[in-house]
Amino acid sequence: MRLQLEVTKNRLLVIGPNGIGKSNLLEAVGLLGSLRSHRSANDKDLIHWNENRAIIRAAADTDEKLELELRRNGGRQAFRNGKFLKRQLDLLGPLRCVGFSSLDLDLVRGEPSLRRNWLDKVVLQLEPIYSDLISRYGKLLRQRSQLWRYNLGSEVESMDTLLDAFDTQMALISTRIHRRRRRLLERLNPLANLWQKKLSKGKEDLVLNYLPGSVLEESEDEALWKSAIEKQLFNQRSIEKRLGNCKIGPHRDEVEFLLNGAHARKFGSAGQQRTIVIALKLAELELIGQLYGDPPLLLLDDVLAELDPHRQLLLLEAVGNKHQCLISATHLDAFEKDWNSDSQILNLDN
Amino acid sequence: MRQPQEKIKNFSNALLNAKSQVGQCSTCFHLTANDECEICCNSNRSKELICVVADSRDLLALERTREYKGVYHVLGGLISPMDGVGPELLNISSLIKRVSEEAIDEVILALTPSIEGDTTSLYLAKLLKVFVKVTRIAYGLPVGSELEYADEITLARALEGRTDI
Repeated sequence: MRLQLEVTKNRLLVIGPNGIGKSNLLEAVGLLGSLRSHRSANDKDLIHWNENRAIIRAAADTDEKLELELRRNGGRQAFRNGKFLKRQLDLLGPLRCVGFSSLDLDLVRGEPSLRRNWLDKVVLQLEPIYSDLISRYGKLLRQRSQLWRYNLGSEVESMDTLLDAFDTQMALISTRIHRRRRRLLERLNPLANLWQKKLSKGKEDLVLNYLPGSVLEESEDEALWKSAIEKQLFNQRSIEKRLGNCKIGPHRDEVEFLLNGAHARKFGSAGQQRTIVIALKLAELELIGQLYGDPPLLLLDDVLAELDPHRQLLLLEAVGNKHQCLISATHLDAFEKDWNSDSQILNLDN
Repeated sequence: MRQPQEKIKNFSNALLNAKSQVGQCSTCFHLTANDECEICCNSNRSKELICVVADSRDLLALERTREYKGVYHVLGGLISPMDGVGPELLNISSLIKRVSEEAIDEVILALTPSIEGDTTSLYLAKLLKVFVKVTRIAYGLPVGSELEYADEITLARALEGRTDI
């Protein structure tokens, strides 16, 4: 299977029935731009079922040529301008993008894990090695919960020493994750609020509150936070022993959205909740654009048709011609006319 | 199938002999054909310095440096509850016995910087610190590598483990 595509306009609409591969196309662009898939953590799932490898190639306006090869038996290879990259992270840059799919629409009213994943995705855009912290923390949590299930017999003393070893590591990594998530929200807050105001014609004021899963001092100090978390981990041990899961740490983080002071998750209307998601995405686009100097690509996967005409137009107006957009939908008539004009249309119907 | 019968026979005998003759050193648990391994028997090695490694392969890697003059202790793995490996499955009680009963000056922990390695290091440090000085090998950059090509994770760890000059 092979698809070659030249994007000639600032806006590309990919139209076709379900299962034809619209999302795959957008996912491929996202993968080349971020080295991550929003859908799958396993490369095997990204390769056609009877092929051994998949290749994504792109040439950017800047004359940069990017290539990523995925192999079924594991391993990726990245090339930039034909040169093999020892570090795949060096592929990042020319094709930075922000994804917005129908799954994101649940960001405000869905489970807390959705909001944590969203935060992590944005932090990763700003700081790729954050992935090391996240994966180490996940492993520590899994090892720790297994430790409780694993019967250490009568060696209570050794269990406590072992837990100390986990506490020390978790306290340090937790501190670093908390700090990055909190800082990100502090930077996103003013941008998101500005967009919320714009989208609601000045009626709505948005505040993003970080509710960390550990009790933290207001002032940011690594040593202080670390020892506080270590103490909290120690104090919850007897509860953890009964319930088998750890109650302290970034895996219990939550983000609260306040709209004119009221909890948007509980009291916001469905429409307001969607507007918040749009404001958050626009803030994300802006923050990444500010940081790297280039406006990132916007990938709208199956989401535009989910928005009512009024919000479609607001989003169109906000994005304007500043960001290149790749948009997927099943029918062209799901869009407001203004989206179709001056757009390149790729019809995958046949 | 094209190999001569004799050659195959020798090879399989060698494997069987290895299996039956090679055991673990009664002191440090390194592989050996005798009761004590060559390193523990060597009177030139200083017995006051113990380097703790996960397995014999790590020991051999350290030996190739020819820099280390102390003795070893092979744990036989790392603590990993997910793999069902707790401290009691490793050669830890024998290490504590060694450290508490013999005149040891320093224990060096040379374990990989993974979650399992760090957990094991922290666990051992806590248990051994009451008897002896405990140190850990540094994380850092491979010699010969350029700073600008090092990955950020290695660089960040190297920064964290910086030393006075």
